[in-house]
Amino acid sequence: MAELMINGKVQQVNVEEDTPLLWAIRDSIGLTGTKYGCGIQQCGACTVLIGKRPVRSCGITVGEVAGKDITTIEGLSPDSRHPVQLAWVEEQVPQCGYCQSGQIMAAVSLLERKPNPTDQEIDRGMLNLCRCGTYPRIRKAIHHASELMKEVS
Amino acid sequence: MKNTNMNRRTFLKVTTVAGGGLLVGCSFSSPNSFSSSNEKDGDLGLFVRIKNNDQIQIISPNSELGQGIHTAHAMIICEEMEADWKKVSVTTGSYHPEYKKNMFVQSTGGSNGVSAWKQKLSEIGAGIKEMLIEAGAEQMRVPKKDCIALNSFVIHKPSKNSVRFGQIAKNASKLSFPNSPTLKNSSEYKLVGKSIFRVDVPQKVNGKALFAGDIKLPGMMYAQVAQSPVFGGDLKSFDKKSALKSPGVKAVIPIPNGIAVVADTTWHAIKGLEALKPTFGGGINEILSSKTIDKSFNEALNSIKESSKDNMVLDVEYSMPFLSHAAIESTNCTANVTSNSCEIWVPTQSQSICFDKILEITGLSEENITIHTPYVGGGFGRRIEVDEVVHAVMISKEMNKPVQVLWSREEDIQHDHYHSGSKARYQIKLDAKGLPKQWDNQVVKPDFMAQNYKILDALNFNPFNYLFTPNDSFIPGMIGLQKSPYNIDNVSFDYTNVDPGVPIGAWRSVFIGNAFYIESAIDEVAHFAKQEPLEYRKKLIGDNPRILKILDLLAKQSNWSKPLPPGHGKGIALFHELDAVTAQVATVSVSPKGKLKILKIDCVLDLGNYVNPSIVKSQIEGGIVMGISSALKENIIFEKGKVSQSNFDDYKIAKMKDIPEIEINLIESDADAKGVDMGVFPVAPSITNAIFAATGKRIRHLPIGKQRLV
Repeated sequence: MAELMINGKVQQVNVEEDTPLLWAIRDSIGLTGTKYGCGIQQCGACTVLIGKRPVRSCGITVGEVAGKDITTIEGLSPDSRHPVQLAWVEEQVPQCGYCQSGQIMAAVSLLERKPNPTDQEIDRGMLNLCRCGTYPRIRKAIHHASELMKEVS
Repeated sequence: MKNTNMNRRTFLKVTTVAGGGLLVGCSFSSPNSFSSSNEKDGDLGLFVRIKNNDQIQIISPNSELGQGIHTAHAMIICEEMEADWKKVSVTTGSYHPEYKKNMFVQSTGGSNGVSAWKQKLSEIGAGIKEMLIEAGAEQMRVPKKDCIALNSFVIHKPSKNSVRFGQIAKNASKLSFPNSPTLKNSSEYKLVGKSIFRVDVPQKVNGKALFAGDIKLPGMMYAQVAQSPVFGGDLKSFDKKSALKSPGVKAVIPIPNGIAVVADTTWHAIKGLEALKPTFGGGINEILSSKTIDKSFNEALNSIKESSKDNMVLDVEYSMPFLSHAAIESTNCTANVTSNSCEIWVPTQSQSICFDKILEITGLSEENITIHTPYVGGGFGRRIEVDEVVHAVMISKEMNKPVQVLWSREEDIQHDHYHSGSKARYQIKLDAKGLPKQWDNQVVKPDFMAQNYKILDALNFNPFNYLFTPNDSFIPGMIGLQKSPYNIDNVSFDYTNVDPGVPIGAWRSVFIGNAFYIESAIDEVAHFAKQEPLEYRKKLIGDNPRILKILDLLAKQSNWSKPLPPGHGKGIALFHELDAVTAQVATVSVSPKGKLKILKIDCVLDLGNYVNPSIVKSQIEGGIVMGISSALKENIIFEKGKVSQSNFDDYKIAKMKDIPEIEINLIESDADAKGVDMGVFPVAPSITNAIFAATGKRIRHLPIGKQRLV
């Protein structure tokens, strides 16, 4: 049994401490926006935020994150109106959509670190895989989100 | 206005939904088990459902793989129906014989989701509109000729009175479907042809989009599988006792070619499989490797024709590697098999093949099989195969419980149906003007269709392999292919199939090898003839305004003639398939140390007319990204009868940093809309031709990988 702080809510999960966070989130808590892609922290489909840091939830255990502030795609905003989500819609980024939760979480974190990223900084900061090939639109959407965030602040 | 004549054999059936509302389904005249008495509110196998609250549900015959077909189909129906776009949702239909399109199967592939369905879906939309107008007029007690449909209302024009579609759907459902609904002219279109937003995007930015692996059924178990890594190998040993002692493990179940562990959570199944320690041995392919496959390719080519020793002849050989699909959603299927029913949730491109497989395994009657296709996390051709469906159905049947089978990424990479490697040779002799006098070409390309259909193997013929070869004009018109754009006389083309002994299948755009080979060869010939590659192509194309227009626009867009700094180069390539044409220019730089950078891809296409240009562009862009990925780095290696790679750390695919600026220009023409996978074809040859322009180094074997460029 472990206690996880997910999207601002305390969740009791009945799993061993060595369970990867990904499977606790998906199977025990039932938040399925976070995806399995590789299990070895290569693809980024399972990216969540711990604090403001992007973490690949397949490679960190429930024991390691107990009590920490975890945000999944479902907790990013109550109404899908986070600037990154809005930009993703405006630029019509998703195709199959499977990797996009992870891409969005990675982008949110990148924009925290670099509110006005250059293309090169996006290349360096966005390491998640997308097989449909949405990279050009992700790049555009990150610039777009950066503008939206400036308007808000 | 265009009058249509509905095909009598496929007249539509209209039903009232429980609690009111209207369903438009399909012909149930064929003696299949989907009789009308079985229709329930929850049944799909239909096209349109209008609910009392005005919500409109479109049931698409195609799977949504990311290609945007749900949006395109909904746009086509709603255009004719005059439906309020904001009230529309779309799902994929279960297996239904009526969804089998011209290809005899219910499947999503071949870039024909729009071309195969546009006419029929338009007629369905137009017919529903006419029924709604009739029911609306009756309700308002006015003549129907004075009524129109607009934005999900039927409006009586003189009085401006109106009724909502939802209010009259039930009455409309009692009418019969019109025989010749009148379709709009394209000039009247309000939705079709516009880059409106996709219906699936809102759910794909907040985690709510449902994929098959997100399904959770009461009492559902989770299974992980291990299949023999050596093709054709057998399970030798496993530690069942340890596996069953592992937390949460419920069962160990043999599957074809391997074994599965069933547990109460995914993680417990993963740990259980670790504890099971299955070992495999044997396999007729233990001696198989990339080297032996290459040797068999060479032997096959040698058996067709000896290479030329003539100095006057360009004599070259090219090769393409094996590729994995590597969709980010790993292979999975959830099944619930009971004594009298089977329901599956699967990311599939072929409900037909799933259905046939389930029939075979369960022996159930047809009406008790349901196939759900939630959003598919990338198809690319892999999802035509159904190995995972077999696993899920067998395990669920054995467990008598719902079971979710998820392949680990390692299983996914090592048990793919790979895009086959291939090899091509050319011997080309030029005349005094530098034009080809004799064009000899031999290709060996393992044919996945022949692996499945032995008749093709026996005949050693698959028309698709002739695609875009200069003598492809003899191909029967049945598959609608176009002639190569190059006018070359004295062509001798020989194709042979070799079964490589590993599973092969369709991979996005399928016949990319044909584009790499011919567009490399043409480029080499131009150089051999000391002529400019674009002008040389135009000379060979001759009088073909459609293609010449594309090339001219592309030259302008890419600044083709503009001089470049040293170490920079541009390469061009084109492709013509399914009546769609695409051409690309790659601009690259190669540093003095040989480091390649792709600076830009320019692309001009004519895919006919477009339902949603933004979606088409996204698909072309995606194809270009996948083309760059495979051209640069992808290469499945076989060693000792198995695949050497197993995950994204050793099977690398393109990341953000690999992708340059991509500029796409769509040309509209009268041809039918098709070919959104056309982005992939010219990518590799445009890049390798650009490398040649930059460095004089000709890349004849893909991937470019770590080959020396200077």
